[in-house]
Amino acid sequence: MSDSIRVVIVDDHSIFRSGLRADLDGSVDVVGEAADVPSAVAVIRETAPDVVLLDVHLPGGPGGEATGGEAVIRGSAPTTTRFLALSVSDAAEDVVRVIRAGARGYITKGSSGIEVSHAVHAVAEGDAVFSPRLAGFVLDAFGAVAGETATVDDELDRLSAREQEVMRLIARGYAYKEVASELFISIKTVETHVSAVLRKLQLSSRHELTVWASERRLL
Amino acid sequence: MSSSPLLSPPRLAPPPRPELTRVRECLISGTAAGLARHLGARVWMVRMLFLALTLLGGTGLLLYLWCWVFTPWEPGEAAPSRRAPVAWVMLIAAMVLDLLVLPELSDYRFAMSPPWAYEPNGGSTVLGITILLMLVALLVSAALWADLVDRHDAARGPRHAAVVRIIAIGLILWLLVAMLVQPINRVYLLVPFAGLLAMFSSSLIHRWRELSGERVRRIREEQRSEMAAHLHDSVLQTLALIQNRAGASSEAARLARAQERELRAWLYDGDAPADSDLATDLRDYAGALELDYPVRIEVVSAGLSTERASGELAAAAREAMLNAARHAGGEISVYIEGAATGVDVFIRDRGAGFDLDAVPGDRLGVRQSIIGRMRRTGGSARVRSDEGGTEVHLQIVGVQTRTAEDA
Repeated sequence: MSDSIRVVIVDDHSIFRSGLRADLDGSVDVVGEAADVPSAVAVIRETAPDVVLLDVHLPGGPGGEATGGEAVIRGSAPTTTRFLALSVSDAAEDVVRVIRAGARGYITKGSSGIEVSHAVHAVAEGDAVFSPRLAGFVLDAFGAVAGETATVDDELDRLSAREQEVMRLIARGYAYKEVASELFISIKTVETHVSAVLRKLQLSSRHELTVWASERRLL
Repeated sequence: MSSSPLLSPPRLAPPPRPELTRVRECLISGTAAGLARHLGARVWMVRMLFLALTLLGGTGLLLYLWCWVFTPWEPGEAAPSRRAPVAWVMLIAAMVLDLLVLPELSDYRFAMSPPWAYEPNGGSTVLGITILLMLVALLVSAALWADLVDRHDAARGPRHAAVVRIIAIGLILWLLVAMLVQPINRVYLLVPFAGLLAMFSSSLIHRWRELSGERVRRIREEQRSEMAAHLHDSVLQTLALIQNRAGASSEAARLARAQERELRAWLYDGDAPADSDLATDLRDYAGALELDYPVRIEVVSAGLSTERASGELAAAAREAMLNAARHAGGEISVYIEGAATGVDVFIRDRGAGFDLDAVPGDRLGVRQSIIGRMRRTGGSARVRSDEGGTEVHLQIVGVQTRTAEDA
């Protein structure tokens, strides 16, 4: 199976790892598992997977805080591996931290195996995975709700009008395909917009984002 | 059948005595009133008894104190309220005593000699010491009473306590100065000085209470966050696992989801105000719908809306959510966007869709509860339905709202 996607699951709950492993569809090949930050870094270095499914809360991070998700991404820094954050919490600040550390998207642990597999494929192809909730948070944090619009496309602290439209539709529960037909653009263009938003989310120094990101709270 | 019941008529059980508790609306401590209630006697009779016994070598006083210490307050929340101005009575007694003592101070023999020295006519030495001790004791008890007891009394409060304490401290300082200028044995100065220290001890008690209260709060907070962390790591994860193993719309997943939501609310929103805005209200309603219908509803909100949960918009949104849950099922997305210019609510399902015009006119659901309702409040409602699902878009323009930027 040369075109199957090689995945490492990092989560401190073995039940969850085995459950997820059983649920993922055939196109995803789980090549490794890890339960804490040091072993995750080691496994990723050893197997060089395409995608890492990464729990936001992990033990063994520096400082002993349960925010080890970022530590794994930082620890395996020069790598082509892409990270997809998994979280039980819907709290945006939890997720934004990991995304700013470099994760390509976020999915809740309540998602079904099919959803996770789809998300893994998307991330493996370099796209970003945005849940409706994350899209809502992005609209909020970038001031889109208050009517702030970027005048130039590469402005980091605001979203362009098109990006806002895409984010709004995602927040309304539209899949990329539906967003594309709604806006009369191709799926590829939608993916480009979403990736652009992800980049802004990672690089922007907007006050709201940095506040979320710097609030290293346990819960 | 025995005839004995006929011979001895059933005795009426005596009405149960009221519990021996102290009355919260009391004269001094509620002891006499409580005792009178318990014994079924008049209050003044009990008081007279205490007074009469007190005349017999102070027995009544001891009995009173004993009853006081061992009788609990009657159950209730209100802080006890005392009619007698105990602190002032003690203060005035001390003042009178002060005025009596000071002019005579130099006359007392104790002024010249230590208390343990033998005095041939030492009657006045003992009297002097007794008066001095009583004076200081009265002042100290007045100050302590005001600070420890009256402070919590709604009728008196902290200001009263402060006044009493200032007067008591003033009197004791006056006594101290008066004793200093007299040629008396310096050992006696210890008495008012100790009194002064005792008065300030009540402040120490307050500090101590605050400190221990603070500690208890902190420990509770720590325990709570420890427990939250534990629950987060174990129970929430398990509930998430159940949901993705059981399939989104199965009974087990729905129960797990409901439990997860409740646990989450308990863990994280414990101290959030119960003030219900539109997003919170719709989220709660979504939770209720998930229990009744095989649906999964995700409510996303952006911007901070001050739109009230009781408004027409909320009612229309709920109706649309109910329709989606009832007719479409599966995944339902609700998106609320509150901006300065208005509020938008989108409710989207992935059901088979329906034709609005084909719905018979007598069905009130969509036409009246959603479209008509929104129109009456000056908003608008658009329903778009095709084979891929239905989306209801509710909009109110020009509501006074607050966005994240202003907050």
